[in-house]
Amino acid sequence: MAKIIIYSTPTCVYCKMAKDFFTKNNLAYEEHDVAADMKAREEMVQKSGQLGVPVIDIDGKIIVGFDEDELRSALNI
Amino acid sequence: MYDLVIIGGGPGGVAAGVYAARKKIKCAIVAGDFGGASKVSGDIQNWIGTQSVSGYEWSKMLEEHLRAQKGIDVIQPDLAEKVEKIDGGFLVKTKKGKSLEAKTILVTTGSARKKLNIPGEKEFDGKGVVYCSTCDAPIFDGKVVAVVGGGNAGLEAVLDALPYASKIYLLDHNEELKGDAVTREKIKASPKVEIILKTEPVEILGDKFVTGMKYKDGEGVVKELKLEGVFVEIGSYPNVAFVKDLIKTNEFGEIIIDHKTQATSLPGIWAAGDASDVLYKQNNISAGDAIKAVLNITDHLNKTESHREYSK
Repeated sequence: MAKIIIYSTPTCVYCKMAKDFFTKNNLAYEEHDVAADMKAREEMVQKSGQLGVPVIDIDGKIIVGFDEDELRSALNI
Repeated sequence: MYDLVIIGGGPGGVAAGVYAARKKIKCAIVAGDFGGASKVSGDIQNWIGTQSVSGYEWSKMLEEHLRAQKGIDVIQPDLAEKVEKIDGGFLVKTKKGKSLEAKTILVTTGSARKKLNIPGEKEFDGKGVVYCSTCDAPIFDGKVVAVVGGGNAGLEAVLDALPYASKIYLLDHNEELKGDAVTREKIKASPKVEIILKTEPVEILGDKFVTGMKYKDGEGVVKELKLEGVFVEIGSYPNVAFVKDLIKTNEFGEIIIDHKTQATSLPGIWAAGDASDVLYKQNNISAGDAIKAVLNITDHLNKTESHREYSK
């Protein structure tokens, strides 16, 4: 199974959409709240070059924002 | 051929879908997602029958209500790319390559966020340029940011940034801020906020991330601000590019409709909600107007075809 990491903020709707998508498809994910966790924020910026959430890391492939089709293709589902 | 293809999944499109399904009209809905512009709202308190609901929960309520209907084809996620006139109706071509034939069309595509259209904006999108302040404000903890736009959305973006940013410039092209008085006073009272009026942003600067912004002041002098975030909140424009060639729009790009029936300038196409020239852009109004459109479409279908086949 793919390792999924999502960098999110509590107020971000697109993060919720992505997490719901994982749950609906029975996929486990690791979540880092970049509003509270400074280290995770730096890690996210370094990995993605982005100052926006969600950033999703699927086995090292970085996806920015919530796009169901893009997630499906990255996860082969 | 469908009797009706609804384009757009906001409150208008969903309301239309529910009504069309219950009228047993052979119908499809094409939508990127559900909920429309209010999906990202933190708290909706004026959706009738619901005291308080987050935009996201609300969008799920809409989607579930729509999907509970039998006999409507839900084509999602997908977007209409072009509507063409064909014999006896229209052809809707979608971004994912679907072609749907329809006797009638209802446009409920709402509006999209306006961009600044200045150098650096596209380049630094997600690298300091922000279009969802609610989502991304916490990332600018301890940083200097600018909010462009002094309407309600701009003022709310300032409130989103207040707990985090070290300084917030609020830029607007008008001579005074336009948003709600209560929010305005709250913002003016904060020592973190500096309001700069009669300005026009001209360029967003940066290397890997945003490092500054150039703007023209009231006298036409170009000045520069050092900052790391630019929150763009300058309003929206109607999503009508896919159908613009067929029907009349006004100076704001909104589809001109007959406000009694929601019919557009071209027989066979109706429109409702923020994509239309409706005076008030409201979720409840979009839903009501889209229902009005479906009822008028039903009348039209019944009149034009006495032996219409009903879907099962």
